[in-house]
Amino acid sequence: MLPVHELSVCQALLTQVAEIAAGRGARVVERITIEVGPLSGVEPVLLASAFAIVRAGGCAAEAALSIESTTVTIGCMACGAHSNPKPNRLVCAVCGGFRTRVVAGDELRLRRVELRMPESRSGPAA
Amino acid sequence: MCETCGCTITPGNAHMHGDQNAGHGAVINVLQDLLAANDQVAVHNREHFDEHGVLAINLMSSPGAGKTALLEATIVALRDRYRIAVIEGDLETDNDAARIRAHGVPAIQITTGTACHLDAHLVHRALHDLPLAGLDLLFIENVGNLVCPASFDLGQHRNVTLLSVTEGDDKPAKYPVIFRASDLVVLSKADLLDVLEDFDPARAAAALRALGRDTPMIRTAARRTPAMGPWLDWLEQELAAWRPAVWTPRSQIGAAVGV
Repeated sequence: MLPVHELSVCQALLTQVAEIAAGRGARVVERITIEVGPLSGVEPVLLASAFAIVRAGGCAAEAALSIESTTVTIGCMACGAHSNPKPNRLVCAVCGGFRTRVVAGDELRLRRVELRMPESRSGPAA
Repeated sequence: MCETCGCTITPGNAHMHGDQNAGHGAVINVLQDLLAANDQVAVHNREHFDEHGVLAINLMSSPGAGKTALLEATIVALRDRYRIAVIEGDLETDNDAARIRAHGVPAIQITTGTACHLDAHLVHRALHDLPLAGLDLLFIENVGNLVCPASFDLGQHRNVTLLSVTEGDDKPAKYPVIFRASDLVVLSKADLLDVLEDFDPARAAAALRALGRDTPMIRTAARRTPAMGPWLDWLEQELAAWRPAVWTPRSQIGAAVGV
């Protein structure tokens, strides 16, 4: 089954990566690292499949994709405590409070891009 | 330096940050949301809505939960008091937009082809065909899907998700992202509760409450024995609470407007 949702997310990812590479005069991307949280609405396994399709023909055609999974962290609006609950039970583990903020776990972020710089360059990238 | 901000730099990892050159490689630390481009267009859409005093509501649910039926009943109830328009999202057909237009209200159909959700860019294009200056309330009926629409900001002010009583009462536990993103959950087709043994509204409410936002849940019936009171009340409260901050309707210029 074609992961349609993850395809459009990967297209957005590769657009950002291409801009970063072009901005530094690099034509080859070696590795892309992204952070995906359980509450992001995106499934890492499907994202990896979509990436293999979408990267074809561009600067990231040979790039490896590293997916760092984050942990759901909530802050309780009653007692202030942080806890790490399951994604569908966002209740404070300390006081049982039912009003919480999601502090981590909903990320869908480009974390790092590793580029191969052209050989004529020396010294730090601009 | 990180492309966006240095908030994750600590004394322990500071040596890893900044562009590094290992031979002919460069490591660029980014920290940018993948949906940033969509979010920028969404902000732009929201500015359009605010500029024209339009309250925009994103309506989501699984296919067949009754979004279009709810909108039809809403339009019939409110069209003499508020100027309403609808943006419809479906993979194919303009059936839903045609149903809305039959009630005398402008409706723009977006057919996404294969895309499982609306995004801000598609909505932005539809806005060009809507008389925003002459509207009070815009409903965006999203593609029927409990997974993908939750991730994409369209520029709306409120998210409303329908859960029909013919679905499972554990849906909020199965689809936490969309239900947590909702400002209101509507239990639709509630007139069928009499004949459905399996759906327990209390279980659905508990599953919703366990998502940590204290989201209100109200019942509606849009067809056989209509019950629209709480939904219409919620809509009017939202309109009244929101509009004075942004725009005074012509009919109220010169009159006291309570906030």
